[in-house]
Amino acid sequence: MAKSTYYIPVGPIHPALKEPIRVEAEVEGEKIVKVDVKRGFAHRGIEYMGMKRNAIQTLYLSERICGICSISHPYAFVITAEKALGIEAPPRAQYIRTIIAELERIHSHILWLGVIAHEMGFDTLLFWTWKGREKVLDLLEFITGNRINYSMYMIGGARRDLKEKHIRAIKDAIDYYWKFTEHMKEIFLSDPVYKARTRNVAKVSKDIALKLNLVGPIARAAGIRMDVRQDMPYDAYADIDVRAVVPQDIVGEVYGDAYDVTMVRIYEIEQSLDIIEYCVDNLPEGKILAIPNYVALLAKIRRTKGEAIGAHEAPRGEVIHYLKFDGRDGPSVWKVIAPSYNNINSWGPLLIGAEVADIPIVVAYIDPCMCCNDRVAVVKTKDGNELGYTEIRKKCLEKTEKIRRELK
Amino acid sequence: MSEVLNVEQVLEKLKNTLGDAMLSYEIREYTMGVKRQRKLYEIWAEIDKDAFRKAVETIFAIDYPHLHFITGEDTGGEVIKMIYSFGIFHTRPWGEISITLKFDLPKSNLILPTITDLMMGAETNEREIREMLGVEFDGLKNKRHLFLPDDWPEGKYPWRRDEYGVEDMIKHTHKSVKEIRKERGESG
Repeated sequence: MAKSTYYIPVGPIHPALKEPIRVEAEVEGEKIVKVDVKRGFAHRGIEYMGMKRNAIQTLYLSERICGICSISHPYAFVITAEKALGIEAPPRAQYIRTIIAELERIHSHILWLGVIAHEMGFDTLLFWTWKGREKVLDLLEFITGNRINYSMYMIGGARRDLKEKHIRAIKDAIDYYWKFTEHMKEIFLSDPVYKARTRNVAKVSKDIALKLNLVGPIARAAGIRMDVRQDMPYDAYADIDVRAVVPQDIVGEVYGDAYDVTMVRIYEIEQSLDIIEYCVDNLPEGKILAIPNYVALLAKIRRTKGEAIGAHEAPRGEVIHYLKFDGRDGPSVWKVIAPSYNNINSWGPLLIGAEVADIPIVVAYIDPCMCCNDRVAVVKTKDGNELGYTEIRKKCLEKTEKIRRELK
Repeated sequence: MSEVLNVEQVLEKLKNTLGDAMLSYEIREYTMGVKRQRKLYEIWAEIDKDAFRKAVETIFAIDYPHLHFITGEDTGGEVIKMIYSFGIFHTRPWGEISITLKFDLPKSNLILPTITDLMMGAETNEREIREMLGVEFDGLKNKRHLFLPDDWPEGKYPWRRDEYGVEDMIKHTHKSVKEIRKERGESG
């Protein structure tokens, strides 16, 4: 019998993938009949490393799990550790932690919107959305000192306080993003081309979402009202009564497709703005660390025998940590479940029956999580001096002129 | 839609179906909130390993759960402590009850029934536990490695703390220079 199916590998390195992962598809003509997803290209054994280190080191190690939502894992980690240790963060720290987490949600959602625009070939939109994202990154840098990996949290509180100038900057950013989100709604949701490219693409039904254990915006877009901030509130979320953003509340119907995911994410930015506004206006006074002395904190961890699970609603969905303290100054068992761990489950069922061209689209619509490590490139001359903006620009112009002469 | 039960009723249902197989249990309360304090509940139960499948089926009968995680702990002894955590009623504000089941699995017989027939998505978790701890899942269809490379040596499991562990495969990334010198017998 003649061979009727062919094997098409996508990844681990592929223009449509921002992170190394491999999708192996068996195709019959253009139709995908079998899919296998290979993960683990970025597996670094972080849980194993954490089980060898002390809890404070592990907290900052957990920040390196994800390069985009770099506060999600520390958040789940501190919640879990506090539950296991039986300590509570001071009210002010609880509010500060919520503010930082929500600022991060804004930047992560805008990043996703930009990536989606890029996947559609709409690069002008990518640059426009990411221009808007700069404001919140600058704000995070202003508050924490870093655009990513903020090192802001500590078991039993937060490490840096919010000053008057920070609060002014946050209020400024809130005003900016109310307007920016309105623009985004217009550009993304009212655009016929965007709608045509996303409606009925990567469609997940409620039933399938439950069975695949999907979390976060993907599950909410399928109509499931699940959100850790609502189901198991913690920190300032417990005062706010957060409600899951689902398409049926916004437009009255659920498709569970990429368009709905976009809608959920844009409306979640608005929800985040509301949460930050509330936290800033009601920020309690007081200290920010339950146990300010880290040596005392480690000693307490060493004395503690206990375990707990803790969750945080990251921009991409539920992050769950399990910790067990057993006489060491660090966790003896540490289990991390990130949202993509569950959400990648959807690729297989979504791709079967789809066409080859859908592979990168489905992959990107569900989970674009890339690590943004590099942020500043410093150019040095041969004798070690840094080149400033003006010189770099001058050199660029010289080069352009040179190329132009050569081409003549 | 399934009937919403409170934490005591959920525990009661588990106790009724499991009977003596429920070795110990507790309800943990956590108070959350600064201005308006309310409570969250978790059920932690230690069960007999033979009753595991029954316990999971009971949870699925109460409400279609969300699987938080599956993990296991090897302390170097004769058993691996398996931990399964589920969340039920997770679409209700302040309503999610998480149920954590723990049981000892003897290393001489590391076999568990799969739960992928009840929840497709659990395949990822089971495949991870299979490669990290060496627990076999009866009925798991896809047994390929999840995170570890395809050419990973047979009989090596990263989370094990016995002779099947990976201590000999890794570098001393977590040890201080002082510790390494001490092990080698060099003076500080």
